[in-house]
Amino acid sequence: MAINVTKLEMTLQQFVANASNVQGAALVSPDGLTLASSLPGGMDEERVAAMSAAMLSLGERIGRELNRGDIARILVEGEQGYGILTSCTEEAVFLILADHNAKLGVINLEIKNVIGELRKQLLGLAQPVGL
Amino acid sequence: MNVEPLSFMEAIVRRVQLNEQDKELLKQEADWGKTIAPQMADIFYDYLGRDEEMNAILNAKEGRIHRLRETFIQWFYEMFTGIDGWGKAYADCRWKIGLVHVRTGIGPQHVVPAMAVVVTAVGQQLRRDHKPEVLSDALSKICMIDLAFIEQAYSEALLQETGWTQALFQRLIAKGAAQV
Repeated sequence: MAINVTKLEMTLQQFVANASNVQGAALVSPDGLTLASSLPGGMDEERVAAMSAAMLSLGERIGRELNRGDIARILVEGEQGYGILTSCTEEAVFLILADHNAKLGVINLEIKNVIGELRKQLLGLAQPVGL
Repeated sequence: MNVEPLSFMEAIVRRVQLNEQDKELLKQEADWGKTIAPQMADIFYDYLGRDEEMNAILNAKEGRIHRLRETFIQWFYEMFTGIDGWGKAYADCRWKIGLVHVRTGIGPQHVVPAMAVVVTAVGQQLRRDHKPEVLSDALSKICMIDLAFIEQAYSEALLQETGWTQALFQRLIAKGAAQV
């Protein structure tokens, strides 16, 4: 089934527009390529994708090394907010950027909801693997 | 492991243009190479020993410098023999040497100038012994091949430790370099 990139982009844009305190989102491949994104202005899409994939790989590596099992989520918390990486499909990782007022419980629910939609668009109903 | 040593070596052999004449010449001069190997080892480790950082690495464990010196002599001789005609055994051996460099913390920034010292010293010895200049060229090519293995071993170790693919690594550093 062909992937409708426009639809993916629209889903991300709607997510960023509607989810509380979310500033940006991107769908990236494990090789660091952007599949779709809706990021704040001035943010380099390619760099974000490469960084996200790098963080994902390192997270998985650390998870294995520390016997943490499959990694569900990678969270970066800074003074300005959060960066959260969540598995989407075997070939796609979902990144969201949220401000420091974001409530993590709400954000996690929002992510769960949108990932279901993104999975359908990417692979029909692909099973999440890794991360 | 992302890199298959023999394929990697074949690619580098093409790039440095090591040809059959070079290989034949090196084999013919293998005895000469064996004779001068200890002298080259002295020059190599004398040079490295004068570098504070390298000196610390070389002497971090008792007997390391002695073992490395013996390895150097063998390595130097093998550049002339090619072990199995610069085939799989040679590639595997050079790959292992590269990994040893990674483990001991001897990086390309140490090895590259040290290799240049060896190339210069061999060239001088070659002229003293009235050997053909083409032998110097052939040896330089082999040195570059072995150097490429050491550099590649560093990349490989990084990829293994981080779980990054080669494509991701290249993308990441290319994007990073663009910001510098």
